[in-house]
This record gives sequence, structure tokens and C-alpha cells, in this order.
Amino acid sequence: MDINVRKRSQVQLIQLRGQLRLGQGVDDFRQTTEEVLGNGDTRIVVNLSEVSMIDSSGIGLLVRLLASTKKQGGNVKLVQPSKFAVQTLRLVGVLNLFEIFDNDDAAVESFV
Amino acid sequence: MQADFSGNGEGGALSELLELSVPAEPEAIVKVVDAISETLARLEVPEQKRLEVALAVQEALANAVVHGCGNDPSKRVHCRMQSDPGGRIVITVTDPGPGFRPELLSDPKRRENLYASHGRGVYLIRQLMDEVKFERNGNEIRMWKY
Repeated sequence: MDINVRKRSQVQLIQLRGQLRLGQGVDDFRQTTEEVLGNGDTRIVVNLSEVSMIDSSGIGLLVRLLASTKKQGGNVKLVQPSKFAVQTLRLVGVLNLFEIFDNDDAAVESFV
Repeated sequence: MQADFSGNGEGGALSELLELSVPAEPEAIVKVVDAISETLARLEVPEQKRLEVALAVQEALANAVVHGCGNDPSKRVHCRMQSDPGGRIVITVTDPGPGFRPELLSDPKRRENLYASHGRGVYLIRQLMDEVKFERNGNEIRMWKY
């Protein structure tokens, strides 16, 4: 899993590339989110435009991240999940927990 | 190679497409899922169906590795892919673990479970595949895609 993290307007923008599934993908993303939360950042945008698969362990990580940030007044917003990723999130009933945006700018600006 | 197999009660000879035995570790799951996806592509299965099968197999293998084998790579997980004369895909994943009772799994869509870190795998498999059966005390999952 390739992960790029950068900060824009007090929002942590996490770009993922690969498959968010059990193993390296989820392990790498978990480590990244722990670092972000550890720095006190709770306003997070996750760009999923280059993630072809999200499995149940990836979904579990996303919803736990959402719960952690919301508890501290923050949020996790998703950018460009694939059609299949949206379908997967909907199937397990968590799609509506997230705000979804077409691009990074819109997601970052939504925090302002 | 042909195998006599009465899977969903209708019976019929199944054609072997793939059979793999891998160590119980996440890296091996990737290889199996990729091999199944490549086989489906070779059979010209539509992309949407390939994605659904791949994710269902990912979940079944993850359960086998994590719960069936306790993440112990000295144990092995078995995966078999077949097709019936009607072109339906049958995938079987077997692990050597103590098994489980799928009827005891809670509904991940219940309000109190929405933010849980786990507990969605079997539910997802049932949504993605057309028919799912657990056998051998839950050590074996057999799933069909029509």
C-alpha cells in the first residue's frame, strides 16, 4: 500500500494507492492513522480513488478511525471511492456514516 | 479433471479450475485471490462479478487465516475453485481450525455494531455470493456465483 500524507488547511489528507485489505494494506494504513491521531489531528480526508478493494478489515479500520475522530470533534471524509468500494460500504451498512466528495479540495473545504 | 460433487442439492459433475493450499498468512491470501481473479478473467467473467467473487474469497480466506488458523503460518488453508456445466462458479475454502457456528454471528448492520472493528466478513460473503454454505462445523465454506 502506497500512502501519502500531507496537511492542508489544518486537515490531514491521506492518499491511498493499492488494496485496503487484511495484511500489509491494512497494517500500513493503521500505522498511518495512529500517527495522525497521535499528533492530535482529527480532521481527516482519505482519498480512495486508487483503492481497488476494501475488505472487512479495511472497513473496520475506517469506521474505528471515524469513531475516534468524532469523539474528539473531528471527522473522516472520503474522496472518490470506486463504484465497487461504495457498493461494499453500502452492503455492510456504513456508507451513510461517511461524507463523500468528488475531489480533495471539496473535502478539505468542507471542514472550514 | 472432473469431480463428482453434489453441492447445492442439484448435483452434477464439476470442472476443476484451481486448487491451492497455502500457509495461513495474509500474503498468501493475496496470491490466492489474484489467481482466482485471473482465472475468472480468462473465463471472460464480467468485471463486476469478478470483483464480487474476489472480495468474497478474500473474506473467506481471511476468516480461515485469522480465526481458523490463529495466524499461524505453519498451518495451511485450502482453496478450490470449480465450475458446473451451467457455468456457475463454486469456491470452497477449508481450514484446520476448531470451526464456528455462523448462526451465532451478530448482524453488523445493527446500530450497536456499526462502529465495530470486525464482524462483517461472513455477512459480506453472503451479500456478494448467490449461495453460501458452511460445512464441517464451520471449517469449510462453500460458495456459489451464478
